Amino acid sequence: MELVYGAITGVLFGFLMQKAQVLRYDKQVGALRLVDFTIVKFMLSTVIVAMVGIYVLKDQGLLQLSVKTAIVGANVVGGIFFGLGWAIVGYCPATAAGAVGEGRWDALFGILGMLAGAMVYAEAYPLVKKTILTWGNLGKITLPEVLGADPWWVIGVLTVICAVLFLLFEVRKA
Amino acid sequence: MSGFGRKDWSPYLAGALAGIVLVASVWVSGHYVGASTSYVRVAGYVEKAFDPGRVDANAYYGRTKLKIDWQMMFLAGIVIGAFVSSRLSGDFKVAFVPPMWRDRFGPGVVKRAFVAFLGGIVAMFGARLADG
Repeated sequence: MELVYGAITGVLFGFLMQKAQVLRYDKQVGALRLVDFTIVKFMLSTVIVAMVGIYVLKDQGLLQLSVKTAIVGANVVGGIFFGLGWAIVGYCPATAAGAVGEGRWDALFGILGMLAGAMVYAEAYPLVKKTILTWGNLGKITLPEVLGADPWWVIGVLTVICAVLFLLFEVRKA
Repeated sequence: MSGFGRKDWSPYLAGALAGIVLVASVWVSGHYVGASTSYVRVAGYVEKAFDPGRVDANAYYGRTKLKIDWQMMFLAGIVIGAFVSSRLSGDFKVAFVPPMWRDRFGPGVVKRAFVAFLGGIVAMFGARLADG
């Protein structure tokens, strides 16, 4: 059943990403070049709705957060590598799969590279674990915890910021 | 053309719907979405076919645990969902060189494939390092 849920969720995500045209190299590199904000609109819309939905259900005790460990060194160095690589290949790990589904088969070579990158990381892991993964481990923290604020304040402020951004996108376009 | 046959849904609408799907997934099955861990698992399976001892001895593969799980089915589902959507709108088209790339670097497939491969290596290394 677990696997069926995964497949259904994936089909819906793949469908929606294709419809929003965010699986395209041109859209992803376009966002990084600040010339096309389609994926920013898509991602932030997802984040806002999911943020509100997750916290509503959490407050009802219906689900739990899954918080990853924040390690400053790993997040910064990893983020720089990811950003460089993403700009070069033009697809992220999830959109590369979706791009293959809609016929953008240059993504297949990106996927092969990503598999190779995973192997390289697995080889480098013992070294990385002793170094970068020890630089600034902050534990499993959330923004509301760090700020000492009620989560709904954080959600409210982030939503307003996104709304202003969306407004700017639409004004600029008009 | 409207609805499922349309090529371009508003990214705000599609994104918001994806948010609802995400919340439903966590609620129903307890799974947050992700993709890059599955690349580690597939890489592990591939490597295992050539050198099982190396995979068994590797701390990262051991930690990640090679298995077909929720996330791998999620990724497979993305391929299918994108295929269905693009077929419904007549958007499906096999191509090896994206338009923006062609304008800047030309129509060569080998060059594009090589660079995509290199970019993939760097992107995945960074994704695993940042644990994202």
